[in-house]
Amino acid sequence: MKKSIILFAMIGLTTFAFAQKKQTTTSATINFDATTSTDALPKAENKTVIASLDAKTGNVAFESVIKSFTFGNPRIQEHFNGEKWMDSDKFPTATFTGKITNLSAVNFKKDGTYSANVTGELTMHGVTKPVTTTANIVVAGKAINTTTDFSVKLADYGVNGSAIAAGKVATESKISVVAEFK
Amino acid sequence: MIAAKRPWLKKILALAFILVVAGGLAVYYIFTEKFDDTSTQKSLFTVSAIDLINEFKANDSAANTKYAEKILTVKGVVTAAEAADTTVNIKMVDSLTDSYIIFAFQQQHMKEAKQLKEGDVVSIKGSCSGGTYSKILETEFITFKRCAINK
Repeated sequence: MKKSIILFAMIGLTTFAFAQKKQTTTSATINFDATTSTDALPKAENKTVIASLDAKTGNVAFESVIKSFTFGNPRIQEHFNGEKWMDSDKFPTATFTGKITNLSAVNFKKDGTYSANVTGELTMHGVTKPVTTTANIVVAGKAINTTTDFSVKLADYGVNGSAIAAGKVATESKISVVAEFK
Repeated sequence: MIAAKRPWLKKILALAFILVVAGGLAVYYIFTEKFDDTSTQKSLFTVSAIDLINEFKANDSAANTKYAEKILTVKGVVTAAEAADTTVNIKMVDSLTDSYIIFAFQQQHMKEAKQLKEGDVVSIKGSCSGGTYSKILETEFITFKRCAINK
């Protein structure tokens, strides 16, 4: 009897520990789009982004390796990583840390689609700036799918390449982040 | 008429025409250039997954200088096949430290990648994007892009 109580208590504790654990994925994706009407090439995808979600605190984060962004065109990819652009040798990652500010509006235990307000800080090219966005959260069983779109002004992050001035690269880039937690 | 009077003008015009066409072709080439199929490219290094992880952990700036943006062949055991959007990533994890290598595949090799499963011993060729320490996972990770499976 005593043994089974201890056993149940242990199972209970383990489940509790799992429920509290921050969820992570190493295969989140980020799409980067800085195309303009004159140039459809500055567009890239990174499928090996690390993301985390803590359903209890509402903390969210992602880490993205700049060199992991894949462009269709080799030369654009080289420019993107170059000193005048992201300077990926010096600044190898872009990171975001933030928080869901309307956590009570999201029920991670109930299937459904929720709209979450996210506020945080994006660091890229060595510059940290505040970002506020909305994330779409879909809860389906144990899986949580999150999608968010926001745009960043490249100049705010000290990225001022001549291609931007020439209108070939958009001054505001669209960034789309998709993360699935299981 | 003018050309008859000045025969050199004809030559200059012809030369200018050739230059414009050549320039146009060069620009066209740059803008339509695509990455080669990785399976047709030569690996500069062939390493085991665990050795590569250990090399990055020992000194990641030296390893980044050596491997980043180079084509490598990595041999190891598949720890996980993770869905990434509609595609799949293959992961090799060092079970002692949770450090890992993750491979994203070239579109034309996605089908082969989707057939891999946990426990498969595999040789993967791809462009190394380098390694760094993850603050979220508190471990070293190395990413690859444009991968293909060596047969």
